[in-house]
Amino acid sequence: MSLLHSARATPLRSCIAGVRHYAVKKPDQTSDPIRETLRRVLYPANVKNRASPVGTWRPDVARALQRAIPSVQAHDTIERAWLLHRRYLRKQREAELARKFERMREAMDELYKLDQTLYMEANRSDDPRAKSQQEMEMMKKMKMSEVRTLEARVPGLFPRELRIPTETPPRDGWNYEYKPFQRPL
Amino acid sequence: MLSRHVLKQVGSCPRAARRAFATEVSSSPASSENVAQSVRPKKSEKPRISTAVILNRSPILTKAPTPFETAFYSYQARIRRALSNPFPHDFYFKQGSLLQTRFNLEERQREKRAFGPSFLPTEDVDPEKAAADKAAVEQLAQQEGEGEELTSRTHKADLTNDVKSLDRKGQRNLYLLLLAEENGKDVWRFPQGGLEKGDLLHQAAQKDLFAECGEQMDTWIVGRNPIGVYKPKPASNEPQDHVFFFKGHIMAGQVHVDGQRVKDFAWLTKEEIGEKVDKDYWEVVSDILSDC
Repeated sequence: MSLLHSARATPLRSCIAGVRHYAVKKPDQTSDPIRETLRRVLYPANVKNRASPVGTWRPDVARALQRAIPSVQAHDTIERAWLLHRRYLRKQREAELARKFERMREAMDELYKLDQTLYMEANRSDDPRAKSQQEMEMMKKMKMSEVRTLEARVPGLFPRELRIPTETPPRDGWNYEYKPFQRPL
Repeated sequence: MLSRHVLKQVGSCPRAARRAFATEVSSSPASSENVAQSVRPKKSEKPRISTAVILNRSPILTKAPTPFETAFYSYQARIRRALSNPFPHDFYFKQGSLLQTRFNLEERQREKRAFGPSFLPTEDVDPEKAAADKAAVEQLAQQEGEGEELTSRTHKADLTNDVKSLDRKGQRNLYLLLLAEENGKDVWRFPQGGLEKGDLLHQAAQKDLFAECGEQMDTWIVGRNPIGVYKPKPASNEPQDHVFFFKGHIMAGQVHVDGQRVKDFAWLTKEEIGEKVDKDYWEVVSDILSDC
């Protein structure tokens, strides 16, 4: 009984069809264009019977699609051609990797037959955190900045100087004037 | 034969030779022959290990899409444009601002390009106002400036075909090839060298690279495992040579050859290497190099 009474006591909603109760504009609020835009964007109308910037497709979607797609058969053919193209690239890549791996395996087999110690050493993996004896000796004679350069290249991990390919090359091109830095082997 | 190795061999051989012939003086000639014969086959059986480095300059540029790929991407973009919501320009731009006008003009251009000029309904805008808008947008473009000129994807080295340049063929993998003298002939091969005592294979590879190509490069040998092995046909009585290849990357610097044993160098793509190198060498190496 009290619930019904409290429901009747709340003011009737203003007539914005399809907008949630919390998004309704209170009658005593000033109309600020920014607020209106925000409200419209954040709480789009549930009923989508006309064009709106958010929450519905463009009104001429059927006409636009007709312009974009030549025909159902053409679209399917294009799809198939694309998948075939991707498959071709994938198979090429996989074949190349298989060839490279085969050569690696062959090399390791030969090494195994030739020299056991070299083979065992080649198979061992580097611990990135370990500092070799040579490194420790080098660090004693170097300045602090050089030590940082030395520690920057972690054995067993890719160096950070390996550049990722980009759309356009660097403005200055390749760095031919590189000053060598002695690193432990 | 191999620069670092020569001194060591000269050092070791006389001693071994002296030891072999030491018995000749004391004993009879027949027994000395037997001793000499027993020493020689052991030497020819012992195989020789050398290390070589395939130094790679990774691609600098992304691959250019093929005509089919470009066509497919623009086709998909058209479909996506047809299916997506119109951009809420009145939310993202201030109402009536110049940027909004510019955006709407550009958007109209994009729609025309996607669906054809006859697709959009003609705007019922005052022609004077339209002209004024256009002029204002052009002025804005002038004020903003040209923008930075992007570097061209083809370098000068591509046009002159300078094989020593590391800027040539930005999209491809380049590998270092040396013109060296071996047994009197000039052969193109990868940097190679012998194995010192106590060295591991990947350490020897790094040392050989510096010995043959100079130290003015920032290189990195990938891991400890060899990526290939080349066994040239040995001449009669010679021990079998094993050349283990290691992959390396160059990040900066350039090769400096001494010009005596190593006469020349070149940074080449896979096909260009195939043209220069011996046939049995190529059989092994072609599987290791990347196509693209």
